[in-house]
Amino acid sequence: MFAYYLDLAWRSLKRTPILAGLMVLAIALGIGASITMLTVLRNLSGNPLPGRSEVLFHPQVDPRPADLPGAKEEPPDDLTYLDAVNLYQLGIAPRRAVMSSNWLPVRKDAPDSPLAMFSDRATTADFFAMFGVPFVYGSAWSAQDDANHAQVVVLSRAMNQKLFGGENSVGKTLVIATKTFRVAGVVDDWNPQPHFYDLNGGAYGKGEQMYLPFFTWLDLPQDYGYGPMQCWGNDPNAGTHDPKAKQCTWAQFWVQLDTPAQVADYRAALNQYSAQQHQLGRYQRAPDVRLRGLLDWLDAKHVIPVTVRMQTWIAFGVLLICLVNTVGLMVAKFLRKSGEIGVRRALGASRRAVFTQCLVEAGVIGVAGGLLGLPLAWLGLWMVRQQPVSFAASAHFEPSMLGAALALAVLSALAAGVWPALRASSVAPALQVKSL
Amino acid sequence: MRILHQIRPILAALRSHKTAVMLLVLEIALTMAVLGNLVFIVYDTINRSHVSTGIAESQIGWLQNIGVVGQDNPVTGAENLAVLRAVPGVADAAYVSPPLVYAQRNPLFIDPSRKQPVAQVYEFQGSQGLVDTFGLHVIQGREPTLDELPVAATVTSDAVFPVLVTQALAAHLFPDGHALGKLIYDGGGNPMRIVGIVDHLRGEITGRVDDDYAVVTQLLLGAQNVGGGFTIRVHEATQLPQVLQAAAIALQKANPGHVQNAALTMAEARESYFRNALAAGRMLVAIMLILLVVTALGVSGLASFWVQQRRRQIGMRRALGATRRDILHYFQMENLLIVSGGVLLGTLFAYALNLFLMHRFELAHLPAHYLVVGALALWALGQLAVLGPALRAANVPPVVATRSV
Repeated sequence: MFAYYLDLAWRSLKRTPILAGLMVLAIALGIGASITMLTVLRNLSGNPLPGRSEVLFHPQVDPRPADLPGAKEEPPDDLTYLDAVNLYQLGIAPRRAVMSSNWLPVRKDAPDSPLAMFSDRATTADFFAMFGVPFVYGSAWSAQDDANHAQVVVLSRAMNQKLFGGENSVGKTLVIATKTFRVAGVVDDWNPQPHFYDLNGGAYGKGEQMYLPFFTWLDLPQDYGYGPMQCWGNDPNAGTHDPKAKQCTWAQFWVQLDTPAQVADYRAALNQYSAQQHQLGRYQRAPDVRLRGLLDWLDAKHVIPVTVRMQTWIAFGVLLICLVNTVGLMVAKFLRKSGEIGVRRALGASRRAVFTQCLVEAGVIGVAGGLLGLPLAWLGLWMVRQQPVSFAASAHFEPSMLGAALALAVLSALAAGVWPALRASSVAPALQVKSL
Repeated sequence: MRILHQIRPILAALRSHKTAVMLLVLEIALTMAVLGNLVFIVYDTINRSHVSTGIAESQIGWLQNIGVVGQDNPVTGAENLAVLRAVPGVADAAYVSPPLVYAQRNPLFIDPSRKQPVAQVYEFQGSQGLVDTFGLHVIQGREPTLDELPVAATVTSDAVFPVLVTQALAAHLFPDGHALGKLIYDGGGNPMRIVGIVDHLRGEITGRVDDDYAVVTQLLLGAQNVGGGFTIRVHEATQLPQVLQAAAIALQKANPGHVQNAALTMAEARESYFRNALAAGRMLVAIMLILLVVTALGVSGLASFWVQQRRRQIGMRRALGATRRDILHYFQMENLLIVSGGVLLGTLFAYALNLFLMHRFELAHLPAHYLVVGALALWALGQLAVLGPALRAANVPPVVATRSV
């Protein structure tokens, strides 16, 4: 029966090619627009580290004064110097990394070589293993290097290209902020999107150009800022040049916790730490900690750009309008077949059979609309990629969206077809046959 | 008048197509709602990208010259300013970063205890020559003289800084109009006394009223060595890129131990500041085009269907003496009525959608004239879409009436 309905649908559409074409085009345009924006949304909210995100957690504590007008309830995203050091030494997580960023003047270790500013991430040894950063040459520095404030550096592939022409530079030296550093390794292009471990500079965009040991970095001249330093109290500039200021947060901290038991233990340890600091009088507030997993953290930080969220809503508005349009055209189309339907009904077809036949026809329109919508979505994504926005590069067509586009198209067409089909199936046979 | 007489039979005929008419009205209303809001968003963005910051943008460029701590550099800040001013084509130079580049808002207080901030303001702190370099217009009071400027090297934390504020900020802080001579306080710096008022200085252009809240502080730069952002103003706007390059080279030559980083004109700064918003606007324009096409297709599809369905009636009307023009007008009038219904309903929808967007995305209130424009666009679109089917209808020969369909 289904094959027969397909055949009927095909004939019916062929008979009114313009009307059929309009319906297909309307669905295709709606699908194209909404799949484009859905893909952008999906890529932007995607998992930056598939396979690792489940074991990565972001601890937060609340060192703020009790009386802080206009403060949010949520503890600060970043840690103060003291908390960063204390939690780093807490040592109960299998892996942990404390980090921050700024930019530093760098030149080759040769007389009169030109200086240039490079962005850096200062962090501790576990960073690379914990986040799965791939190495091209050499390896990460060791925990011993961290403890010894060793002057070693890990370069990005791009920076290695710029300074050493892309060769294996492990063991070579360069001058960073007047101090000589030895290259320990070169990492491959690695820039997870969203840039989850430090969202302060925007969630999308370029990665850092080099990595330095955190405690070595703190010894460098203090004139290049400390990432996203935020201070409470009334002084907006407090501590800009003093990372150890007690009222300023600027260090990001991540831990790896492999089992639910470890997560529970760590949460308890955070609470205990906060309570202890509260007792010491350093924390004025009662313990208030967070320990979010990576994906929960991204959710909580609303990393999707507002314009993208708005455009996704608008794209669905367009789909809705396309559907209303299709409903109108289908009503016209099915009513035009009233004579034919009257004959079928008179010959014994049930209302249900007529309804199914009309829905099959709607489904065929949906499939055709979906197939035409795919190249339109591809075109739409290409247009997004041409835009000079930070998230443009992540607007790529994904195979999984293929199925989604077809399913969405068929569902929309069926939804649009229900009412016209109901009306068509309630055609009174006698009236129609008489007028033939 | 003839056309008006036609309305009654058109309405009567539409009554027998209630479903299709309702759907068409609904589609036009939805299109109008989305279109009105999108046009508003896009137009607002474009308007915003043309709002002036209040400085002489076409003549202004910015250089970033970063000092390396721990490395000797013999040149002083005052000498660097002199180096920049000596570059041919440079009218003035100051140690400061211009609006849109490094704009940061700080809380402002009018009581020394700094309990309750009264505004968030952009603070422009720089060297002598800042006011002239930006090309600010002092409309009340005066610019502090060189003698009055606090000396950067020896300034103490209790010294009162003479500052300029924007007109908008003065009116906000002191609605009685007596801002001159009053003391204001930022988060933790020195107390500031308002000695003059400038017309406009916008740190950013977001569309908020407090974009134009700014405080300008000048310090006298002497023997200390500073790196950072220098702003220059050139005599001839057309010469800006060349002069800026020359200035960057001169500054680099004078400061061999510094890192010469960015050099950009205000036009470039503005371009990069609005890049995202304008790109989003372009995507919205694409969506608007899709909407218009879909709506036009829907209108013309249904009109074609109706013409087809009514071939016999049209033939009869022709046989009874109606001219082609009558038939053409009939369908055009019918379309006008339907679109008008859609526009009426669409006005409601547009306001509802605007409320939703205001609530979720902090969009401003939709001004009524966007709806008028939307209505005109839809009327025109409807007439355009119906023209083809209506012409086909007008060409139906009277003889059709005698045939059975």
